[in-house]
Amino acid sequence: MKAGKFPLLYPTAGFAALLFVLGAMWYAASNQNSPAVYLLLFGLTAVFLVSIPHTLLNLADVTIAPESAKPAFAGEEISLPVEIMNCSRTTRRGIGLVLPGSGGERKRVDYIPAGKAARVTLRFPAGRRGERRVGTFRLTSIYPLGFVRVLKRFASSQTYLVYPKPSGDPRLPSHRARSLHSRPQTELGEGDDFAGVRAYVTGESQRHIDWRAVARGQPLMTKQFAAEAEGSVHLDFSALGFLGVEERLSQLALWVIEAERVRRPYSLRLPNTDIAPAVGEAHFHRCLRVLSLFPEGERA
Amino acid sequence: MSTSKSSRRTQPWRDTAIPRRPLLWLAAALLFTLPPMFGNLASWVPFLFLLALVLKFWMEPRGYRLRSTILKLILAAVTVGAIFLSYQTLTGIEPSVSLLAVLVSLKILEAHTAREFQVMVMMAWVLCLCGFLLSQDLAIGLCLFVAFALLIAALVQFHRGSSPGAFWLSLATTFKLLAQAAPLVVLLFLLFPRINTGFRLRIGDLRSAMTGFSDRLSPGGIAALANSTNIAFRAEFPDRRTGPVGPMYWRGLVMWHCEGMEWRGPYAPTSISDSSRRYPASDKTIRQRITIPPHGARWMFALDRPLGSPSGAMLARGNYLYSVQLIRKPRRYEVLSSTEPVRTELDAYERRQALQLPASISPAVRELAASFAADDSEPRQTVSRALQFFRNQGFRYSLTPGEYNKNDLEEFLFHRRTGFCEHYAASFATLMRLAGIPARVVVGYLGGEYNDLGGFFLVHQADTHAWCEVWIPENGWTRIDPTSVVAPGRASQDLSSFLAGRVASGEIATGRSAFFTGLVRLALVNQIRSIWEALNYQWDTRVMGFDADVQDVLLTSLGLTNKGPLPLIMQVLVVIVAVLIIYAGWMQLRTRPRTDRIQALYERFCRKLTRIGVQRDPWEGPSDFATRAAQSLPNESERVRRITETYIALRYAPGPGPNSIHRFAKEVDAFTAHR
Repeated sequence: MKAGKFPLLYPTAGFAALLFVLGAMWYAASNQNSPAVYLLLFGLTAVFLVSIPHTLLNLADVTIAPESAKPAFAGEEISLPVEIMNCSRTTRRGIGLVLPGSGGERKRVDYIPAGKAARVTLRFPAGRRGERRVGTFRLTSIYPLGFVRVLKRFASSQTYLVYPKPSGDPRLPSHRARSLHSRPQTELGEGDDFAGVRAYVTGESQRHIDWRAVARGQPLMTKQFAAEAEGSVHLDFSALGFLGVEERLSQLALWVIEAERVRRPYSLRLPNTDIAPAVGEAHFHRCLRVLSLFPEGERA
Repeated sequence: MSTSKSSRRTQPWRDTAIPRRPLLWLAAALLFTLPPMFGNLASWVPFLFLLALVLKFWMEPRGYRLRSTILKLILAAVTVGAIFLSYQTLTGIEPSVSLLAVLVSLKILEAHTAREFQVMVMMAWVLCLCGFLLSQDLAIGLCLFVAFALLIAALVQFHRGSSPGAFWLSLATTFKLLAQAAPLVVLLFLLFPRINTGFRLRIGDLRSAMTGFSDRLSPGGIAALANSTNIAFRAEFPDRRTGPVGPMYWRGLVMWHCEGMEWRGPYAPTSISDSSRRYPASDKTIRQRITIPPHGARWMFALDRPLGSPSGAMLARGNYLYSVQLIRKPRRYEVLSSTEPVRTELDAYERRQALQLPASISPAVRELAASFAADDSEPRQTVSRALQFFRNQGFRYSLTPGEYNKNDLEEFLFHRRTGFCEHYAASFATLMRLAGIPARVVVGYLGGEYNDLGGFFLVHQADTHAWCEVWIPENGWTRIDPTSVVAPGRASQDLSSFLAGRVASGEIATGRSAFFTGLVRLALVNQIRSIWEALNYQWDTRVMGFDADVQDVLLTSLGLTNKGPLPLIMQVLVVIVAVLIIYAGWMQLRTRPRTDRIQALYERFCRKLTRIGVQRDPWEGPSDFATRAAQSLPNESERVRRITETYIALRYAPGPGPNSIHRFAKEVDAFTAHR
């Protein structure tokens, strides 16, 4: 990724403390006219000065490559994996990566050997729904002495999606929509007979997670039970006329999750979009994406 | 000290945010700041410090920490109180350093966050500074240098975080930093102006420096200074390059009051006028320029017999200089001295003073004095008989003659016969008074170390000396140094070189064990010792002697002073920035990724094509691009194809020779495309 033109260099809090110590040494040295104290003063000053190019060059030929962030629901956490690559011929140490303004913390990599890369995952709260820009990454380092910090900026045009926060009534709407699938069929949903497991979908209820499998070290799985399914469900934005736009989107998001969990085909109808009934991960994300990108403030 | 908010007790080492390794480095650094504290501070202070360090390493793995604010306050109050009890004051260098050391000890017990770690490193640096305020010995200097390096290592280790590798790898980085810093240190030390600030708040006086010289001459008082490396003053002779011929007796104070083995100066020296005095010929006088570091008392020094007093000083009875005010900042003055006795009259008051004797003198001593004065009344005879007595009766010169009281004259003269200069001066002057000759004791310094860089003599506290003056009617007050009879070499050199020679040859009883004396005689040990002495000398003269005044000499000789300090600072800064840029460039060169020559050549070829309007898209492979370029540049299609083929062959075929790369380079060079 292309970095800003020049790395910036600015003092840290440690520098203030150093200045205080140097001031004390200078004061004592000039007061006592003591060459020994002058030697100490100049020694510390020189080491500090020499540490500046070390810090400055600690980010030379270090670059980053952000990967794509998985979408998350509003109020949850976005995790954005970033690869920090050290293209130089020496080990780079003490490198921090931060996305200012995202509310996330500075991530620290203690060392990256020459020619290798390190992967850090920036985590920060997902704000409001919609498509958000990642913004500018800041790569910093205060190695080796911590008196100055070097800063390299990497502007990114990358975006991530924040789905609406699911909330509202978890029960799926009962009315049958254009009963395309009117005949009863056995589908996976809520019932008594265990019918296997499938991968956990972010945002869905944790009630059916197979915790025993988790305890064995396996990934999160949701247990599914065979139930008499009721055919496909039609999720219509305009049918929820009594709620505000955001509440409606939240309700729809919750229903999408619920329907996906019980594996009931669902269709989604928004004022400008119509998605045919289906089930599955691609459909699930497609629906949520549409909900996420629904123009703000638009009335039904 | 900050209050800790969390009271969570968890796993060992987890409780602390300071990882273990940096803490170890810091602890090692703190250990090396200890040596200057021993012997210079109240003895419990360094032990408390050591205890805190040990305790920290016991507490840390167990997750214990000093948490309670009340306990901290109590501990702080107790230790501050203890310092006050030890020193009776909290101002001055030693109580302040003790205070700092104690606070660092408490901080060690308390610290647990990364921020506190930084604070401790800074405090440790201030401790290094304090160490240098207490002592400027080479050995101490080396210790503090080690501490300094370890502190840098601690910081490096701290910022390395969990990087793998042996613990000493942070030392390697430290050495690199130190090696790169060394030229800058030399530059700054030699050339950076030692600006003398107007605001001189007093840090405080070092007590040991004040005890270096006092108005009381008691047995053992001067011998205690024999190992002091503190500088008493520096003297230049503006009219000549080298010092006077013969020993340099620096007059400090004249003592009139005799108490046997103990002598005392006047409580309030009285000024004498020197208008009646006849000045000797100029070849009998010597001009000196003397610089005294602040010692908090009023002593001033001059060679032999000062004629007249510099401003702010008076000539006291006994013909010595005495400052009107306490010397709290470096004092520089010029004074003219006579190298030969100045003839004056001995007035009745002075005669009475110079013959005063204590009542408690034993008959044996009186008898001895009487035997010196026996047959005739010629004072010279009496003096030489007394000197004969010291020369022939087996008197020994020793730094550690044992304890004497002020009434132990008889013990000294007849039994122990071991003493340092103050014993000889005091007993000799007392004997002279008993024999009826007016006598007084002079305390000052003898000798000095010539610094050829600065062209001055360095006089150390260790050169403190006491001698006598007796009144001989024809000559006036005449200097007699009984020590020179007992230790003939002493007068011609400063104490340290004299002692070094004597100890090495085994002539002198240093009070050390026979084993040690035997050890000293071993050639190897001797050699090491002499190297150490030489290093010490270099350190004292070249480094410790290089203060603002010597720097002035250097800067003048380099022609850098005439424009004032600011241009000089700018010049130094420019040089420093240049050096830093060189370092940065060098480091950049060493770590920059190696560029692929073949790739670079191909990119150059692509740039050439871009210039004439055929741009390669990032996703386009070389052969696809070549096909496209050949289509749009029919004239050049053959060359484009050939260059691309060579490129692909070089890049992907195994083991291309340097020859073919060279040919490729030529082809790319020669390629000039036209539409």
